[in-house]
Amino acid sequence: MPHRLGIDIGGTFTDATLIHEDTGEVRIAKVLTTPRDPSLGFLAATQRILREAEVAPGDLRYVVHATTVATNAIIEGTVAPTGFITTHGFRDMLEIQRQIRPSLYDLQFEKPRPLTPRYLCFGVPERLDARGNVLTALDEAATRRVAEALKTEGVEAVAVCLLHAYLNPAHERRVRAILAEVFPAAVVSISSDVAPEIREYYRASTTVINASIRPVVSRYLGNIENRLREAGVRAELLVMQSSGGVFTFDAARERPVFMVESGPAAGVVAATYLGQTLGFDNVLSFDMGGTTAKAGLTQGGTPRVTKDYEVGAAAQSGAGRGRGSGYPIRTPVIDLVEIGAGGGSMAWVDSGGGLRVGPRSAGADPGPACYGRGGQEPTVTDANLVLGRLNPDYFLGGELTLDVEAARRAIQDRVAGPLGMDVVAAAHGIVEIANAAMVSALRLVSVQRGYDPRDFVLMGFGGAGPAHTNRLQAEMEIPAALVPVSPGIFSALGLLVTDLKHDYSTTLLQRLDRLNPSAVEAVFLQMERLGRVALERESVAEADMAFVRQVDMRYVGQGFELTMPLPARRGELTADDITALNQQFDQAHARAYGYSAPGEPTEFVNLRLTALGKITKPRLREWGGSDSPLPPIPPLAGGERGVGEGPGVRSATRPVYFAEAGGFVDCAVLNRYRLPAGAVIPGPAVIEEFDSTTVVHPGYQAAVDKHGNLLITSRKA
Amino acid sequence: MTKLDPVQFEVIRNALVEATEEMSIALKRSAYSTNIKTRTDFSCAFFDRDLRAVAQASGQPVHLGSLTQFVPRVIRAYGSDRLGPGDALLANDPYLGGVHLNDVTLMMPVYSDLRLPDSALSTQHSALLGYVASLAHHVDVGGGSPGSIGAFREVYQEGVIIPPVKLVEGGMIVQDVFNIVLAQIRSKRETAGDLRAQLAANLTGVRRLTQIAARLGLDTFDQYVEELLRYTERRSRAELAHLPHGVYRAEGQVDNDGYTDLPVRLVATLTIDDAGVLFDFTGSDPQRRAPVNSTYAMTFAACAYVLRCLMPADVPINDGFYRLVRMVAPEGTVVNAKHPAPVVGGWETQTRLVDIIFKALAQAVPDQVPAGTKAMMCQAAFGGLDPARGELYAFYEALAGGYGGRATRDGVDAVQAHGQNTENAPVEETEVGYPVRIARYSLVEDSDGPGQFRGGLGLRRDYQFPGEATFSILADRDREGPHGLFGGAPGQTACYLLNPDTPAAQRLGSKTTVLLEPGDVVSFQTCGGGGYGSPMDRDPALVLRDVREGKVSVARARDVYGVVVDIARWVVDEDATRRQRGKYHPTQSRG
Repeated sequence: MPHRLGIDIGGTFTDATLIHEDTGEVRIAKVLTTPRDPSLGFLAATQRILREAEVAPGDLRYVVHATTVATNAIIEGTVAPTGFITTHGFRDMLEIQRQIRPSLYDLQFEKPRPLTPRYLCFGVPERLDARGNVLTALDEAATRRVAEALKTEGVEAVAVCLLHAYLNPAHERRVRAILAEVFPAAVVSISSDVAPEIREYYRASTTVINASIRPVVSRYLGNIENRLREAGVRAELLVMQSSGGVFTFDAARERPVFMVESGPAAGVVAATYLGQTLGFDNVLSFDMGGTTAKAGLTQGGTPRVTKDYEVGAAAQSGAGRGRGSGYPIRTPVIDLVEIGAGGGSMAWVDSGGGLRVGPRSAGADPGPACYGRGGQEPTVTDANLVLGRLNPDYFLGGELTLDVEAARRAIQDRVAGPLGMDVVAAAHGIVEIANAAMVSALRLVSVQRGYDPRDFVLMGFGGAGPAHTNRLQAEMEIPAALVPVSPGIFSALGLLVTDLKHDYSTTLLQRLDRLNPSAVEAVFLQMERLGRVALERESVAEADMAFVRQVDMRYVGQGFELTMPLPARRGELTADDITALNQQFDQAHARAYGYSAPGEPTEFVNLRLTALGKITKPRLREWGGSDSPLPPIPPLAGGERGVGEGPGVRSATRPVYFAEAGGFVDCAVLNRYRLPAGAVIPGPAVIEEFDSTTVVHPGYQAAVDKHGNLLITSRKA
Repeated sequence: MTKLDPVQFEVIRNALVEATEEMSIALKRSAYSTNIKTRTDFSCAFFDRDLRAVAQASGQPVHLGSLTQFVPRVIRAYGSDRLGPGDALLANDPYLGGVHLNDVTLMMPVYSDLRLPDSALSTQHSALLGYVASLAHHVDVGGGSPGSIGAFREVYQEGVIIPPVKLVEGGMIVQDVFNIVLAQIRSKRETAGDLRAQLAANLTGVRRLTQIAARLGLDTFDQYVEELLRYTERRSRAELAHLPHGVYRAEGQVDNDGYTDLPVRLVATLTIDDAGVLFDFTGSDPQRRAPVNSTYAMTFAACAYVLRCLMPADVPINDGFYRLVRMVAPEGTVVNAKHPAPVVGGWETQTRLVDIIFKALAQAVPDQVPAGTKAMMCQAAFGGLDPARGELYAFYEALAGGYGGRATRDGVDAVQAHGQNTENAPVEETEVGYPVRIARYSLVEDSDGPGQFRGGLGLRRDYQFPGEATFSILADRDREGPHGLFGGAPGQTACYLLNPDTPAAQRLGSKTTVLLEPGDVVSFQTCGGGGYGSPMDRDPALVLRDVREGKVSVARARDVYGVVVDIARWVVDEDATRRQRGKYHPTQSRG
């Protein structure tokens, strides 16, 4: 009985997801997070779910962990004391950063505080030129003195980033060797290992983060490993990376900067997996919870990753907004646009009489006004309730009864009254403004990256997502939308369906018209060797290994690159390959920026290699099996009657507001667990399940596939 | 907002700003020069058909404020009836509402129906929605020195003056125009790429705005744009209403003009009353035959920037806000120069004005404004023949300095100030792209303006040249540091040196062009920010931290802050500090 376990430690709850590798049966359990020692909660969640599923600890094959330990350490400043060594004359790199203000018109702004204070930053005499040639040899005596000083200061970790070390790592390696002699206790990260890419501040920032969280992450993972082993778990222990792949605890201890955004990526990975299983390679994922909504993009079965990421930054959208508010890292991070528009986001009226939604959230406590826990501010959830889209008696499967009157009162007092609007119009307005923000997020992650959203399937999940998915689909003219089963826990699936992954990159500035194919091949082979060693350490069989080559390319002189795939085969690039690559690049450039310049010289900037260790994916369950892990089916309120086009589809009705229908209409309300595969539900309809509610608008229909997913399409098509 | 749907309103408001943000992304990502692609020295905006600013991306405030003056004048001068779908106007004329010549703007009309690029053949024009504009600081526009930065006597020496001309007609680049512009410019390949990137940005904006209008219908689009401007004005007035009424005056000066040593006197008188804020610069010096002249549009941008800083972050910026900017800038003075005065260094004057306005405002809203900041553009430009590529090159960047101390916090070290928020050029990218070596990039220790909340530190950047090069400095602050407030002291002055730390070291002027020999080093050491409140009131723990971090020396801590630090144990010597601070008179209270 091989099983796979995912553990996601959040601020309040630690979630466990268990999947049977052969049947695809999924089970979840929640325990309270134990902030003092998260490994306790980790173990409690593990033991609880194993007990409930009657699975022996020894039957676990993989345990995959998503954790915010690294991010929290950075944001809260609880990283290990870390020294920084760079080229003489540049010790203030971490202080100066990019010399910009994160917000243009804020006179009280601050730059992010350096993770390493200035007295732990040192320059050593040495210098490479822009081709990697040695101009000044490393001053070893000075390096020794710096090592001594750092030892005296009692740092735990040291980050080394020398100018142009991405071209030639020799000096950095020598500094590491000297540190090992003089100060063997120090944990050392060098930039040519962690992120060998041009632009020193970004590389230094990445290296400092890696070094300073290594001791923290190492202790953290060590605790978890000990507890699991004591409890009899022999499974391979893996951590989710920011890129959506997993790597072993051991690899995570070496390169923890790759797992800084460990949690949020899971939803995109789950959406990618489900999309691929169903034959949709292009997926726009839309994950809406209580406080935020996250938009991601998967193309050709691969989640889009970005290398332009700041840890702890404000909003990421736009060219300038929020830039400089966090610590940049140059490791791949799944490209997510996150906005403050969740179910709990508050609606308010500003001093100019404008209706606004978010970014403030009522959170879980007091929560939306309709929770009846003292919340006075109207939220998106309150608005959906007033519009009839949520069932006051069946929220979280009836665990919470919603107070419609409280929701109406809050909207009346705070929005409708001040604006002189009708309360229903105000409620609809709140939902539409939230929808518009989500459309912006989806546009950012698609149109602004050069993709046409109409070529994608929109996948909506998170507890609050499916109530909005169809509307966003309509707004963006996306032909098909998909709502998976149990949307509220869907993203946890992402932990269980991802491959082992190691990303490498090396800067190699070379014009394509003067390319030295053997030099390129040599770099790829070197990265492949590193990847192979890492995968072998993780006991991946040769047959399950795959190596994906990509290049970052641009017109000579441009500042930003487009990442292009290279031929799957190994071996030096041929003249034909190069011609084809140039053509593909022109096309990609035209798609991204609206023009191309065929004939302009192009160049490689970074070579990228991804080493994959394929893991067998669990099977998707058939819908409607007798071994349903789903919550008990609640009784339907009111008289049942058939509305669907499939057999056995029965429902009640209630008034639900749709602007396109001119107001409230008598709308079918269906219990999702009673919808058989093959059923087709015409809109307007509301489909309820334990942890979410799917709204189907007039003019659309929802079809239930054989796995129970809802596929929403236009009825006109 | 009685008639219109507040929901639709909010949706449109955001969509318009998103459209300009999408323009910015396209421009940044497809540009060639480090100054644009990495330092983000550009801005994008959308104007309605009446040439009122409607939406703008978060770019450089200096650009955004001045664009609102430039775009209307250019379009009117050229004649909106002479523009059609797929046309784009290029211009940089300072005396047509423009700024310095490096800032080149590309403008394109937007129609309610997307017909590109074959629209030129179509006689049937759809309705005009408005105009998109992208302004970018081009690294070279010709003139007397590489980077087009230098001390000249009239605008004609500063580079190519571009009156409104069609660079693009019916979606096609007009090659003759492109060629004549490029013929004036040293860094042709980069500039050609950057202009194409501006075109990409404009096309992005055109596409997006057309889509928005197509969805709404033209009438609805117009109604909401109108309401957006009214809403913004309403909010802006509401947010400014709390400012204490009164007349507030301050003055200051730019150190010199680049030709004479005469300081350039600047006077700002602010009147805050029920009508809002009036900025009056009467009393400022007559214009100079030297590069320090600001144009009307530049000075306008200074006032707009200050006003915007006094409002919450979420107030939109468009004509509804800009119409509250009331300014008196006498013609023929350094704040509103007449043709043909040179203007390349006008930003030095413009940004100093911002500092002086804040100094005046310190009397009205002492808790909101900073002490004196860097308040200079601090421009470095160089160029010559790139031996590796066999072509002429030009490089430009602007350096940070210390920010002023504030009512509850220190000034930030090494950061851009006011209307300027351009990034630094990464050392490695600079060395890969240009024949120069950055020999040093660090904070300037002890450059803080002392205060209870100290000014930020300036920075040092040394450029070393393996071959010959022409180097221009267009900066300031080497005579007088940024002012302190309420007992705070001025920041340390800046310093520009040739071959620093050698026997041959030589001071360079703050506005000068030098020819360099192989091996020469030019060093910028920028000023610190002014202090806020008396340094004797500074929390000794903060002084200790500064000393520990090497930002403030032990001697300076003792002599200037009255704090004695025991560096063996890294603690404050409380007794010695009490004695030291007792030597000084009690500090004056605020005001």
